[in-house]
Amino acid sequence: MVLALWSIPGCSRSPDAQADADRALSSFLGQGDSTPEGFARAETAREFRFPEDHGAHPDYRTEWWYFTGNLATDQGRHFGYQLVLFRFALAPGRVERSSAWATKQVYMAHLALTDVESQEFRFHERFARNAAGLAGVEASPFRVWLEDWRVEAVDGEDETWTLQAGESDMAISLTLSPLKPVVLQGDRGLSRKGPEPGNASYYYSLPRIATKGVITLGDEHYPVAGLSWLDREWSTSALSEEQAGWDWFSLQLNNGYDLMYYQLRHKDGRVEPFSSGTLIDPEGGTTALRREDVFLEALDTWESPLGGLYPVAWRMEIPLAGLEVEIQSMLKNQELDTSVRYWEGAVEVKGKQGDEEVSGHGYLEMTGYAR
Amino acid sequence: MVNGMPVLAGQRILRLASFRYLLQHPWQLALTIIGIALGIAIIVAVDLANESATRAFQLSMENINGRATHQVVGGPSGLDEAVYIRLRVELGLRDSSPAVEAYGVSGEEILHLIGFDPMTNMGQETRFGALEEGVMEDLITIPGTALLAAPTAKRMKLDKGDAFDIDLGGRKHRLRLIGLLEARDRPDAAIEGLLLTDISTAQEITGFIGRLSWIDLLLEDGVDKKILETIRANLPPDAELVPAESRSNAMMQMSQAFRTNLMAMGLMALIVGMFLVYNTMTFMVIQRRHLLATLRMLGVSRGELFRIILSEALLVGVVATVLGILVGVLLGSGLVHLVTRTINDLYFVVTVTDLQLSAAPILKAVMLGVGGTLIAAFIPTLEAAMTSPQAALRRSMLEAHTHTFVSRLSVVGLALFIIGLLLLAIPSKALALGFASLFLLVLGMTFITPLLVMKCVSLSNQLGAGRLGVTTRLAIRGISDALSRTGTAIAALMLAVATTIGVSIMIDSFRASVSTWLEATMRADIFLSAPGLGSGRSLTALDAGLIRAVKALPEVTGVSEGRQVTIESEGKLTKLFALKLADSAQPGFQLKEGDPDVVWPAYRRGEAVLVSEPLAFHRGLRAGDAIALRTDDGLRHFPIAAVYNDYGSDQGKVLMARSLYNRHFRDRAVAGLGLYIQPGITPEVVIDKVKALAAQAGQQVRIRSNREIRAYTLEIFDRTFAITHVLRLLAILVAFIGILTALMALQLERAKEIAVLRATGVTPGEVTRIITIQTGTMGLLAGLMAIPTGLVLSQVLIHVINKRSFGWSMESLINLNELSAAIILAVSAAMLAAIYPSWRMTRTAPALALREE
Repeated sequence: MVLALWSIPGCSRSPDAQADADRALSSFLGQGDSTPEGFARAETAREFRFPEDHGAHPDYRTEWWYFTGNLATDQGRHFGYQLVLFRFALAPGRVERSSAWATKQVYMAHLALTDVESQEFRFHERFARNAAGLAGVEASPFRVWLEDWRVEAVDGEDETWTLQAGESDMAISLTLSPLKPVVLQGDRGLSRKGPEPGNASYYYSLPRIATKGVITLGDEHYPVAGLSWLDREWSTSALSEEQAGWDWFSLQLNNGYDLMYYQLRHKDGRVEPFSSGTLIDPEGGTTALRREDVFLEALDTWESPLGGLYPVAWRMEIPLAGLEVEIQSMLKNQELDTSVRYWEGAVEVKGKQGDEEVSGHGYLEMTGYAR
Repeated sequence: MVNGMPVLAGQRILRLASFRYLLQHPWQLALTIIGIALGIAIIVAVDLANESATRAFQLSMENINGRATHQVVGGPSGLDEAVYIRLRVELGLRDSSPAVEAYGVSGEEILHLIGFDPMTNMGQETRFGALEEGVMEDLITIPGTALLAAPTAKRMKLDKGDAFDIDLGGRKHRLRLIGLLEARDRPDAAIEGLLLTDISTAQEITGFIGRLSWIDLLLEDGVDKKILETIRANLPPDAELVPAESRSNAMMQMSQAFRTNLMAMGLMALIVGMFLVYNTMTFMVIQRRHLLATLRMLGVSRGELFRIILSEALLVGVVATVLGILVGVLLGSGLVHLVTRTINDLYFVVTVTDLQLSAAPILKAVMLGVGGTLIAAFIPTLEAAMTSPQAALRRSMLEAHTHTFVSRLSVVGLALFIIGLLLLAIPSKALALGFASLFLLVLGMTFITPLLVMKCVSLSNQLGAGRLGVTTRLAIRGISDALSRTGTAIAALMLAVATTIGVSIMIDSFRASVSTWLEATMRADIFLSAPGLGSGRSLTALDAGLIRAVKALPEVTGVSEGRQVTIESEGKLTKLFALKLADSAQPGFQLKEGDPDVVWPAYRRGEAVLVSEPLAFHRGLRAGDAIALRTDDGLRHFPIAAVYNDYGSDQGKVLMARSLYNRHFRDRAVAGLGLYIQPGITPEVVIDKVKALAAQAGQQVRIRSNREIRAYTLEIFDRTFAITHVLRLLAILVAFIGILTALMALQLERAKEIAVLRATGVTPGEVTRIITIQTGTMGLLAGLMAIPTGLVLSQVLIHVINKRSFGWSMESLINLNELSAAIILAVSAAMLAAIYPSWRMTRTAPALALREE
């Protein structure tokens, strides 16, 4: 997952919607006309320490806590959810001022819910400064929040978290317990996005998290259970000028395997050689996937009423793992028309791993398609 | 209708006859129009100035409140910012927005600083418009960045990127302008003086660290009572949830009395103006009695006559009204600055740069100008139309008629006067009732005036028979013989002069009371304070180090410490003055009720508070009652030990011992010090030392000796009444024009009489003498009658209007010089008005005047 925002796009609305969208996207992609001065950059592999690294890394420009998951009621009513909290440094350096409101860092959060049965997709966006207790993150006991949207460690337990977020039309309240240990993505957690040194992020995931809780829609409460995925990433500059967007997959299969793969697309249609992923076996063992290990083919597209053609069905083949699956969106319209417009939604997976029939669910994120 | 003449042609001739007359008397026409126009102009000017200030205040409040329906407000030291976090993060009240507010000065401009959080939806989109790209990021991340209202920036010659200094409570801060705020679809007044910064910058430059001025909330219509209760349950005791409009109302309330008084001034001007309209219209009709009678004899019907004269009056009214409105608008832009300055001195800070042209004052002016002229013309027209033509042709009939009318009028006047007195006897706090009785009394006196003039003239004739010269008797007799003209003129002048006397006595008495109060209260030798603006919750505080240093000065023998705050509780704003008396000081406050030997010890022990007279009046409080104030521990009731004299605030205040204040409020700021110095040391020596200490502390302070502060207070007082001086001058001007019109009409009409006199050997010099004596006598009569009327007026103003507006009681002080000055004013106004007519009279060759017929 490669969202490298460095300014808050969309906060300033201009009359020219397309120019605005373009600018928002290039901000979103972490593309700037200059190399940002004063920020740390992801250049070499580093040692990860937990729980410290669950906390913020304010010397980097962008960071996020990305929760997605597929949940269902006992009767099989399926929901997808996304709660992501982004941290942006508006300017480098720490703040030494007397007001508690003084900060250079702000948070943005997106909350989305896919209700497959009623074919409804809801999303909300929030901003707050990382100050005065409005938004922030604490490593231990773990807590990340933007106003009353929050994920926090259950009393005394660093391994069990509660996630709570809602708006007037919906609310989710979940308990999360990881089933597999942390997976460091890329080279020991250094995830390169291109040939330029420093165009990279630090990236780790919790790929399989047992999830239980309640989803509220209007007056209805749905007890649900399922799996969640957490992506953690921080960077200063990730993408180059030529890169247009990406397709990111996180899949959780019923045979215990999990998979993350992202493909970076260039503006000329080429796929970035630095696209990569990780296959995680049921015990948590990992296999790195390079661009040439994965074959991806779009099967179907959905046209956004707001403009843009999204490939919402894919075929994925990974010969070295004997994996061949079709990935189908559970709802075609899972586009978030937030300050940056992108598609992020629940998917269903069906196919084979070797001779074995496999199925599962996951999340697909597509950026750079909005027109 | 003349037989056989086509209807239209006949009407045209009538109209021509009527207008020809007007055109032949251009001076009279001009004066009539000027008179009405001036009356209208005053009304329009006062209304517009008043409304502009009010509107500017409302607009800026609306703009600042945005869509907020409710606000959470705190005590004197604001609100803990944690309250906001609790509401927003824990209760999830996302339609909320924090604010830190202060007033500062930059150059000539008063700036209204608001620190907000541009990241909240309410802050970003609805309250102040969309921000340009990158502005929000800079506001948040770069300390000292600000947005300023575009019209204000333009006046200050500032552009994006410029730096400027703002003085907040004596400390200068440098800010950098990174954007301009546009009024967009609202009037400029909505944003005038508005200075926005991020809440962090605002907290840092105001020293309001960790505190907020208020929290805006947007709660949906028909909000669930439970939500309000939940919010209230989550507020600390010093905070209160109030509907947004109640705050602006409470603030508007503060200046209500002042604005009412201003309106009353406008009404006075109007009454004088209406007199003038009536006066001139009456002349215009009466003068043509001859012409009208001739027309009637030629067969013109009453209805036609009526229509013609009324349409003429309508035309005059319309022209004069349009003119009056134009002049009023010009005058208003001058007045609005006086009004604004008074409001800023005494009430709240409002920036008014433009006159708000609104429909209401204009409409009112049209109704008064056109309608008033018509009504004024109606009575004489009716009289002219009803009188039989033969009778109308005889002058003596009119005057005989007038004399009966004058007697009846004085009966009406007496009745009005008595009703006015009865209204005064009603025990009430209603200001409107006070004004009603004031007007009835004055109107009554004015109605009696013509009769008094008649009596005076006949008295002087009786007494003067044989003693006075022929010319003098001729002159004086002329007044009563032409009472239909002179009566109203004298009455108008009398009213104007009486107004001057009444208002002067009121202001003098007021000033004397304030002066006595200052002498008694300002006991310390030197006063030191941090400059602050308005009387809203002030952040102004003296530097703690500076206070310590000043106390340590060897010359200083005692120090009193003051802190004035505004407490917002139960929808009311109450000024609270926390005062630590110097040990040596005898409290200078004069008690209205209560025994000082009991009151002061109780006050010092913090067992009770004192309330000032206006507060006691407005809230109906007395010694022994209790007053409720929201403290940091919630609403508390404080027993009242006494009511004391105070002219410092027309809403009044609560005086509380600092020790008691400290028990209930965490605010420890001291805003002012009173220094007692060793005898024999000149205050200037100590002042210089204190100034040096303040410079060291980096705080600009106001420091004044006892003498200076008294002078300064009186200066503010005079400034407050500056506007009344202007209005009085205008009223005199209106009356002057009235008397000029009357004399013009009188003298022009008597051209023949004068010509006869001239032909029989009276010299031009003697004619001038007759006219001078006549007008001088008219002025003298007006002046003499103005004295009792003015005295009545002053007493009502002092004991009824002032008391009911402000709650202040004062000793009335009648200055004999003032009274004689009023007579001189009346006589000279009359004489001045006589110059032109008498010049004309003497210039006209008698033969020419006689040949006219």
